[in-house]
Amino acid sequence: MRVPVSWLREFVTLPPDARAIADRLAMLGFPVAEIERRPTITGVITGRIADLQKHPNADRLQVAQVDVGADAPLTIATAATNVTAGQTIAVATIGAQLPGLTIAPRTMRGVASQGMMISAEELALPGDWFEDGIMQLESSCALGADVVDLFGLETAVLDVEITTNRPDAMSIIGLARELAASYGTGLRLPQIVNPGRAAEPPGEEPNVLIESQDCYRFVCQRIDGVRVAPAPAWMRVRLALSGQRPIDNLVDVSNYVMLETGQPLHFYDARAIHGGRLIVRSAHDGENIVTLDGVTRTLSPAALVIADDERALCLAGLMGGAVSEVGPTTTAIVLEAANFNGARIRRMSNALALRTEASARHEKSLAPALTDLGAARAAALLWDLGATVYQPHAFGGPVTRAAAIALKVADVQRLLGLSLHAQQIERHLTALGCEVDRVEPEVLAVTPPAWRCDLAIAADLIEEVARIEGYERIPVVVPSVAPHEISSGAFALESRIAGALEGLGYREIITQSLRDAGSVEVRNPLSEEQRFLRDSLVPGIVEYLAENASPARIFETGEVFRDEQGGLVEESLLTFGFSADPLDEPPWRDSHFLALKGDCERLLRKITGRDAETKRGTQSGFHPGKTALVTLDEREVAHLGRIDPRLAKAADLQRPAYLCVVNIASLPAYETPHYRVPSKYPSTYRDVALVIGVDVAARDVERAIVATLGSLCTDATVFDEYRGPQIGQGCKSLAARMTLQRFDATITDEEADQAVSLLLDALRKEFGAEIRT
Amino acid sequence: MTELASRLDDVAQRFDAAVDRANDEQALESVRVAYLGRNGEVTTVRRAIGTLAHNERPAAGKLINDAVAAMERRLQAAYEELESRSFDAELATSIDVTFPSIRRPAGSIHPVRRIIEESCAYFVRHGFAVVIGAEVEPDYYNFDALNIPNDHPAREGFDSFWISDTLLLRPHTSPMQIRTMQEHRPPIAIVAPGKCFRRDAVDARHLFQFHQVEGLLVAEGIHFAHLKGMLTGLCRELFGEQQNVRFRPSYFPFTEPSAEVDTTCPKCKGAGTLKSSPMGCNMCGGSGWIELGGAGMVHPNVLREVGYDPDRYSGWAFGFGVERLGLARYEVDDIRRFTKSDPGFLAQLS
Repeated sequence: MRVPVSWLREFVTLPPDARAIADRLAMLGFPVAEIERRPTITGVITGRIADLQKHPNADRLQVAQVDVGADAPLTIATAATNVTAGQTIAVATIGAQLPGLTIAPRTMRGVASQGMMISAEELALPGDWFEDGIMQLESSCALGADVVDLFGLETAVLDVEITTNRPDAMSIIGLARELAASYGTGLRLPQIVNPGRAAEPPGEEPNVLIESQDCYRFVCQRIDGVRVAPAPAWMRVRLALSGQRPIDNLVDVSNYVMLETGQPLHFYDARAIHGGRLIVRSAHDGENIVTLDGVTRTLSPAALVIADDERALCLAGLMGGAVSEVGPTTTAIVLEAANFNGARIRRMSNALALRTEASARHEKSLAPALTDLGAARAAALLWDLGATVYQPHAFGGPVTRAAAIALKVADVQRLLGLSLHAQQIERHLTALGCEVDRVEPEVLAVTPPAWRCDLAIAADLIEEVARIEGYERIPVVVPSVAPHEISSGAFALESRIAGALEGLGYREIITQSLRDAGSVEVRNPLSEEQRFLRDSLVPGIVEYLAENASPARIFETGEVFRDEQGGLVEESLLTFGFSADPLDEPPWRDSHFLALKGDCERLLRKITGRDAETKRGTQSGFHPGKTALVTLDEREVAHLGRIDPRLAKAADLQRPAYLCVVNIASLPAYETPHYRVPSKYPSTYRDVALVIGVDVAARDVERAIVATLGSLCTDATVFDEYRGPQIGQGCKSLAARMTLQRFDATITDEEADQAVSLLLDALRKEFGAEIRT
Repeated sequence: MTELASRLDDVAQRFDAAVDRANDEQALESVRVAYLGRNGEVTTVRRAIGTLAHNERPAAGKLINDAVAAMERRLQAAYEELESRSFDAELATSIDVTFPSIRRPAGSIHPVRRIIEESCAYFVRHGFAVVIGAEVEPDYYNFDALNIPNDHPAREGFDSFWISDTLLLRPHTSPMQIRTMQEHRPPIAIVAPGKCFRRDAVDARHLFQFHQVEGLLVAEGIHFAHLKGMLTGLCRELFGEQQNVRFRPSYFPFTEPSAEVDTTCPKCKGAGTLKSSPMGCNMCGGSGWIELGGAGMVHPNVLREVGYDPDRYSGWAFGFGVERLGLARYEVDDIRRFTKSDPGFLAQLS
């Protein structure tokens, strides 16, 4: 909300510096997004055109004698066309400073001009929001008065952010009240009394039928004898500084009252109300209304309208209709100051994609009491403009006084950690308009003011006390936390995984969870590319690898989502791997794959304290011959392999990619390893070369060796593979080394040789293996 | 005797010459074997003692022993000379130590994780647990239980991605508050880091997918001053000991009183201006403060919802945007860099 500081100053005494006021508002909970500084303007005063003559030497110039309240009038030559004798205007005198201009004496076609009549634009107001030519002031203005002071033109305008719970503060009076309470100075509110006393002429009493329970109160007042004209200059200037374009005196009064009091108003041309009464009702399905912005809107029953007996006249809380719009021919109006259910207005505003200053206030549920205040203020302004104001009529529920809230003084200390006396608490709450009774020495009964619907419980009052006292007064204390049994296990596991992968040389990335494919769909995506929740981390990582020109080693942990029989399944996955340039290797070997497998084993060992097993497997998206399933204690926890080259091509991957996918939830808990004392006798080893079927897995050979030799064999490792013409079709050669050792004695060469021949028999039997010589 | 002495002399002379010729350890060893070995020349000379008269033998023996000792000293010196020469040769080599290093692949954790881990470590040190949870949660945990009923204007601030009538991607990590309080009785002391989603237009300051660190402390006697204490400590942990923290009143449905938390801009140190820029500090926009997020005392309705008596227990909660912290901490110009994860960015911040 744009808030001219000069308008605030009408109600509260403030420090001179706008920055100080902005800081104070921020510390009250109303941050100021921007302080708009006004340009320096001096030497502009009010004057009256006492005499206006044609310039003796120029057809397009006139020469005015301008009375500025001094002994002698000023002689001013002007080219403006909208001036006549008797007008009150703003005059820049010799030496006056305007934005980019200093007024100096000058002679216009032989006439010495002692100043310049000025336009709104020259006062740094939006020129197209005001009359063409010289700005017109009211004759009631004292002559020779400083125009900048008169209209508060030089003080800054604050762009204040107001939280959704404080629609009462979306007003000059609301913010002034906050500042007055905070500075401890008084609030200078004008006595706002509705001037309407008289009864309407017979047959012209306003009547309102409230059919919807979403309208809580409707204050209605008939005003006759209005004459549509520009509003007074002071009002137009304030509206313009507040960002509202002045239109005419009726529209301007309704906007002015909304900005000042926070209560949106609506004026109907009395002639347009057919049947003599207003009806607050839900729209008929398909009902049309042309709103003031010229748009024809088709409504559903979700919309709330103000109608007469025949048609909708106004979208409740949003915008009026063209049919009852006030205009140049309007002489009588019906004023509406109503209160609606905020949620209904917000839904309607969203559904119609229509947002106005009025709806921004109504949708936050205004206080019903504001209706009477808003009507009174508008009636008073119209009265000042010479209109005939009849008595107000209120329909709907009465304005009820809020129930008193019990506030224990001790609870202020309990929640804030700041000790305040009952008197201090009472002073702060009273400054905000609360009524405070001391029911017991340490218990206050606090009745919130009528405009504060957000104050309902003791904690609300404690926040008010803290705001006015100042949050900075609350001490800074480090709590001591009592023991509890909440586990950090899941987070710690993820941290350890990330740390281990960092150690293995992988960089962590975070990719988008919303993607163009998946089984769980988002109802309201931002774009088609983000319509689904990801079901795998692989696409994001492949995309990342494709975007990077050089080989990369990366990992990501994150949630993936699947739709399973109508239920949503969410899982935490880890995916890591790399892109790498192909190696010069035979087709039956892939060292990149083995390197990835090695990293996977390292990782799992570090995280679970166990050694993983791998076996051949398949996985969609992976190379069918270069994929392994990884198990821990017989349980599948991961798969790894080379990304399917067709998929890689489609993703524009420039080089092969190898990825490992780990299901984090499936990892067993860390098992602390136990030390096994090694044999004190020396070990020996034997290497064997076997010719064996190509499909026999190296790991199965290792297992068979250990199984055959039992405790004699402390380790068995296949260390070489060869395939080629010498070996024969369908066969490969594997070289394995077994480490042999006894716990009770030094193993002899004879024992070792005997073990090997035993083993070879067994391998021949199990795999059909032959010794390679 | 004279003959023996002269033979010994001859052996010694040839030994010296051989030692002089030997220029590696292997050659020296051959010389040793040839002269001092079991069947070496000295042994041959020594055997001649038997041909001498008895009274000459002790003198001859001494002569030979002295000669052997001298030869051994000579040999030792030659060995040492050789070793020293080999060190000299090694030490005479040199390389260009500024030649580019050979680097193992560098691993790193994401700066977002680093901030989360450091924040959590601070809270863990003070007795908090770290909990993580699902990203898709029912509206009950995201809104209703947090005192944001349907039609509450505050729901507009959480423009969310909906999966069904009731399921959505969490717009904040606050569901973990409710879940933890439902599962445990006070005291509750947790931090809940995690990914969140809001339908915000992406720009230099906004992401639709971002991370939060949420904190919750509920017990008897917990008050706002404790919130200031812990969050001031957190900011000093992340940004340095000089850091100030400011609490401004604000509004959230799930806290009362509520606050926005700001900390001294780490770039301009709170001055709002930079020597390098006449336009004012581009990190904080000239205010000297950066916004971290929201905080406040847990609303009594939230405590009641999980079955806690608000007259007995009180607590506070806060939620900070991790990427926002990252912007300030690493002086990053654009928040989108945290999601693009370009290798240069990650390498610089690792």
